[in-house]
Amino acid sequence: MSTVLVLAPVIISNWPAITVAVAGAASALGFTIKQAAEEALKQGQPGEAEQSVEVELADSQVLAQGLATDQKVVLTKGPVQIVVQRDARGRCKVCASGKGQSKAQLKQAAEEFTQKLTQCFIYDKVMKQLKSKSFQVVNEQIMQDESIRIHVRRWVD
Amino acid sequence: MAQHEVEITISRTGDVRVHVKGAKGKACMEYAKWLTEVIGRAKDQQLTSEYYEPETKSRIDLHQDLKVEDGSS
Repeated sequence: MSTVLVLAPVIISNWPAITVAVAGAASALGFTIKQAAEEALKQGQPGEAEQSVEVELADSQVLAQGLATDQKVVLTKGPVQIVVQRDARGRCKVCASGKGQSKAQLKQAAEEFTQKLTQCFIYDKVMKQLKSKSFQVVNEQIMQDESIRIHVRRWVD
Repeated sequence: MAQHEVEITISRTGDVRVHVKGAKGKACMEYAKWLTEVIGRAKDQQLTSEYYEPETKSRIDLHQDLKVEDGSS
């Protein structure tokens, strides 16, 4: 017997779990995490000549437990800076800015990062849950289209 | 012992395709429900042709060897 499901991801989590996914996405896309977020933000406040684009993860909710209001992660790659933070409505927000970058380029960077963040978050969550149900990983591959394929198995009485 | 297998494909945009194999009837649906709760919301669900197959199949092959005895002896 078998069934095939297609699911849309929903990100509901606390900030630490989201920062793990942010780190994974940053690593995959070649971004560097800035340690001093506040300092980076002061230096990197979008000026008049600097464009800025915001993308919100539609189906997301960052749980406020243990989260300071100004908590955020700042990432850089060349002239592009990405800030991931929780917005006032509790959703996860990705803001891309950078000197000499067009709105279209920044929008593309923000969307690409958002998608990778979602993929990393779902991967971490699914693997954790599969292990809790005693599934063993038979095979795991990154496909040409950048999708991740996980094949797991378990024996039941 | 039954073998339950799950193939999960997470696309680059984060959409997920889950293929549950080997679990029968209720167990199959329980996996589908559990993974939906873990990942998000269902956009589509299909039961494959395998789903509609009987849970067990049996086949009996009967062979009979006929031995003709020669009555002249």
